[in-house]
Amino acid sequence: MKKSLLILSVICATAFAAQAKLNVVATLPDFGSVAREIGGDKVDVTVMAKPTEDPHFVDARPSFVVQLRTADVLIDGGAELELGWLPPLLQNARNPKIEIGKPGRVQASQGIRLMNVPTNVTRAAGDVHALGNPHFMADPIIAKAVAQHIAQSYSAIDAANAAFYDANYKKFEATINAKLQEWGAALLPFKSQTIVAYHDSWPYFGHRFGLNIDIFLEPKPGIPPSPSHLVEVIAQMKAKNVKAIIVEPYHDRKIAEKAASATGAKVVAFSQFPGGIPDTETYVKLIDKLVASLAAALK
Amino acid sequence: MKKFMFVALASGALAIAGAKGAEPAASPAVPNPAASAADVEALRQQVQSLTELVQTLQKQVKEQQAASEKNNSNPPVLPQSPEPEIAAAAPSPSPAASAPPLFPTTDNAVVTNAPPPVNANGTLFPTTDASVTSTVSSTDTGSSLTQPITLTGGGNKNYMNISFDGMFALATSSERHLDRLEVGDHDPQQRGFSGRNAEIALDGAVDPYFEGFANIVLKLDNNNSTQIELEEAFMQTTSLPYGLQVKGGQFFDAFGRVNPTHPHTWEFADSPLVNGRLLGPDGLRGVGAQISWTVPVPWYSQVIFAVKNGRGGTAFSFRNPGDTGFFYGRMTIDREASALRDLLFVPRIENSFNLSDTQTILVGASGAFGSNDTGPNTHTQIYGADLLYKWKSPRAEGGFPFVKWQTEAMYRRFEAGRGLDDTFPVAEIFRDWGFYSQVLWGFKKGWVAGVRGDYLHMDHSLFTDDDMRQTRSRISVNLTWYPTEFSKLRLQYNHDFLEENAFLASRDVDSVFFQFEFILGAHGAHKF
Repeated sequence: MKKSLLILSVICATAFAAQAKLNVVATLPDFGSVAREIGGDKVDVTVMAKPTEDPHFVDARPSFVVQLRTADVLIDGGAELELGWLPPLLQNARNPKIEIGKPGRVQASQGIRLMNVPTNVTRAAGDVHALGNPHFMADPIIAKAVAQHIAQSYSAIDAANAAFYDANYKKFEATINAKLQEWGAALLPFKSQTIVAYHDSWPYFGHRFGLNIDIFLEPKPGIPPSPSHLVEVIAQMKAKNVKAIIVEPYHDRKIAEKAASATGAKVVAFSQFPGGIPDTETYVKLIDKLVASLAAALK
Repeated sequence: MKKFMFVALASGALAIAGAKGAEPAASPAVPNPAASAADVEALRQQVQSLTELVQTLQKQVKEQQAASEKNNSNPPVLPQSPEPEIAAAAPSPSPAASAPPLFPTTDNAVVTNAPPPVNANGTLFPTTDASVTSTVSSTDTGSSLTQPITLTGGGNKNYMNISFDGMFALATSSERHLDRLEVGDHDPQQRGFSGRNAEIALDGAVDPYFEGFANIVLKLDNNNSTQIELEEAFMQTTSLPYGLQVKGGQFFDAFGRVNPTHPHTWEFADSPLVNGRLLGPDGLRGVGAQISWTVPVPWYSQVIFAVKNGRGGTAFSFRNPGDTGFFYGRMTIDREASALRDLLFVPRIENSFNLSDTQTILVGASGAFGSNDTGPNTHTQIYGADLLYKWKSPRAEGGFPFVKWQTEAMYRRFEAGRGLDDTFPVAEIFRDWGFYSQVLWGFKKGWVAGVRGDYLHMDHSLFTDDDMRQTRSRISVNLTWYPTEFSKLRLQYNHDFLEENAFLASRDVDSVFFQFEFILGAHGAHKF
């Protein structure tokens, strides 16, 4: 009896704690970082995917159901990146607050024009996303739009703190605007250079800073590099004088190194997610690091 | 508004250009009135670069205008060339403190309909009818399958997801009658080729309150004629409060880990012995209703309770008249439900904990209680326990590498009556039990190695001699290659240890299966 009372009080306590702060769940660490910037100490943010793992294949761990069940806000990409694992979690969470269309659901891709929307979907082309390339957060201008979307969601749910969220958004916007000058200037000398990536995660980053990140170690999205494809890539790299190969934490670095040693290019550790590589705890720090390490490699 | 912004940007840039232009012209004039050739050259270069800057800016303004006009009239298209935005950042910023940003900080080509600025009340959040008009994904509201087939090209505009899964096997075995050896209906059932499981799956949101799912299996029997099974067809609620969900129709029972899943998601080419012999060759499934509740505790906990008719071959240990009117040697009584206890009740509880960031366990306990057809008042109880442990690398690519250990144990108490009109000499109570344990190791992207041990104990009886009631065990090893998540090739070796009996020729049987599978259309999201 005493035990059950204790459990009851613990449950009540957690319920009250949840009321004090907005309970925010983000599917991916980049959304999580922006969600923290906007929410400050008024929100508790939990992130599902680890910054070092492949966001296409995250385990639908049952603990995520617990997080989703009590969430006030869910931030997901809405562009099929999490399609392999989010739907069954939502089905089990049964939380009407985070249904699509409710203020508690932020689908980050809403209002974003996605790149490389296939005109014809066939899986012969590999793991192609029918709605377009979902790795859009690498463009800081898009990140601002997502931040605004998040601020509006928070304000709609927690109207008392709307001014706070709005101020945080303005601050984020100003930071990005100022940083864009820095980033733009740092990468300007390398305009129109070609860069090789393991997977096609960087078209938005390339588009923003005028880089052609359009040769991939994967022969097709999601298909592991084959020796014959690698030969082809190396030839292309030599022809286009490619100086950098972008590799994310979960990719096989050895393959990139093979291509690098054959061409004299440098392997650059990149991550779509804050925390995926060292010293990148926030979104801004992440782009800082990506720009700096890419500029260093291209020099 | 947009136009105004560009004009402002352009004029700001011009102002800097002017300032820069004035500076070098004035400064050399004071210390050295006679300008040297080098000075002239420097000036010329600066003027030239400034001219270029102005030209680029003009070009940019034009392109932006064109782009914004295009955006207003045309479907979304990204500009092919990213050049214009970058060009503006050319000269190093002048010391003027009020210089406007030169690197563009907005881009209407990528952010299409950015939500309007929020006001203090947050009332401008677009809450109107986004769920109806949203182009993002109106069909995947909590649905369990992914990416629908699109008949007309890109987009996500179907009311339901459709998929087809074809699974085949090539088998060889030292036992001639593979159908007596293999316990599952979708397992390889003969030497040579089998096509035991081709399924069509449909799913989608029914309306704002329900979602629907149907799974129709086409099966080729050993004579290559096609049989149809309505494996599953159910609706379930999507928006009940308090973490409740109600499901109704024909569906697999939530008993353990293998039973509720479709054969193509299994990690071995055949069913575990204990599943095939205690729950039945087709698994425990049938018509009924189920309620489930996610318990509001800080860990994952779910309680499930189903009520089923519990009749026929898919309720194998319950009111099952048997294929030929016999079950465990007894002539069966194919009876209607006369009381509540003739229905089948299937409760389950499951809990999950994270041992660390990369390790998760899930433990479950299930039960199935009902009557059987071997007597007018005979009952069956089945109890099950299951454990799943999974480790996945923090740097997983495509979900690899991982290690997964799964074990299920079951116990069945079966009251075998004397059959129709007491034609069988005795009534008996069978206490049967068994388990399997399997470890899967995804050692490289797309590659999984597995090993499984099976044991089944069937209560010995002097009176009942049935090939379904053999105590036996098995060891299996396999290697699976998933070229992508939509195809699979699997090689499996089984060694069966059998009791001496009249049904199978030898006591040790070796079998090798080569299984191949493909999926078209939607692919089921991976449940844990």
